[in-house]
Amino acid sequence: MEPIQQRAVPSTSVFGSSDEDCCISAAKAGDKQAFKSLYDNHIGNVYGLCYRLTGDKGLAEDAAQEVFIQLWNKLDNYQGQSKFSTWLHSVTANITVSYMRKQRNWVQRMFSLEASTAMSLPSEVCSTEVDLEALVVRLPERARMVFVLHAIEGYRHEDIATMLGMAVGSSKAQFHRAKQLLKTWMGCNDE
Amino acid sequence: MSKFEQKLEESITSLQSEKQPERDLWRGIELGIAAQHHNNDKETDTPYASHRQWFALAASVCVVTLLWFAVPSVFTSISGETTNYAVIEKMSQQQQLQVNRLLTSFERTPVLTEDWQAQLNELDEAASAVKQALKSDPDNTALIRMLHHVHQQQIALIERVHAPKWQQI
Repeated sequence: MEPIQQRAVPSTSVFGSSDEDCCISAAKAGDKQAFKSLYDNHIGNVYGLCYRLTGDKGLAEDAAQEVFIQLWNKLDNYQGQSKFSTWLHSVTANITVSYMRKQRNWVQRMFSLEASTAMSLPSEVCSTEVDLEALVVRLPERARMVFVLHAIEGYRHEDIATMLGMAVGSSKAQFHRAKQLLKTWMGCNDE
Repeated sequence: MSKFEQKLEESITSLQSEKQPERDLWRGIELGIAAQHHNNDKETDTPYASHRQWFALAASVCVVTLLWFAVPSVFTSISGETTNYAVIEKMSQQQQLQVNRLLTSFERTPVLTEDWQAQLNELDEAASAVKQALKSDPDNTALIRMLHHVHQQQIALIERVHAPKWQQI
């Protein structure tokens, strides 16, 4: 299965790669209009990933803003060895994960919240039409992040463990948990 | 491959990688970048620039003081906007008084944990952060509730660490 981060290159279809290179160079030199063009062409992918990782529209919007604010300073790190969209995808994943960690620490300190538990959803009949995104955002936080990064974005469990500060075994266990929940919600438990 | 695995793989393949946010995020990004620039400029200020800022600040204070006495009506409309924040300031002052009173009354009581002052400092920082946010949005009820909650936690922390051991069981 091809991970989404390698499929996520629609920007070149609207805006050739040389145009994009020009925009990147101009933005590196401090041209805000060029940076806005990069924003316009990549906000869909960045927000999409933020939304799947956070499972919340408001948090995803804040995280996407944080990604572009930090990107303004990080652009110099992009040396053109990979596609810009691929590089931006991994920057987005890293920034969103640390943004969520910061948010969670603060909110937990304020309100002594426990980690979210899985929402119980009525299981559907094992049909061909599945709104996977709607199910993914309902997964418990850690299971959702691992599932999105591994199954959808194609990261290895070793990398996910480093990103999320957990053991490799925990990453695999969370992935298994996510799949079991999805299986139940998709009504495929009888297999 | 089971039916579920197959269906999952199909769903992942057909998943749209793009999703548009419901509101325009660019304005916030622009402001965030501008704020970063402002902070960077502050950090790289030369002593000369810093002196200039102090002169500018002193001059502004003089002008405002003069205006205050010369044209008091200018300030009547502004004071209305700051009334709500004044209530929050009052609330914080009362909280500080209550905290001080409690600390004095527990002065000779042995404490149960050593790091309670660090925790109290963290709560103080949280209260300051919420107050800072309230300065620009004094009518935000969520922030007011949050500040109230932090204040309650401060009192609860002081009482808990100084409570007799039998109450902890």
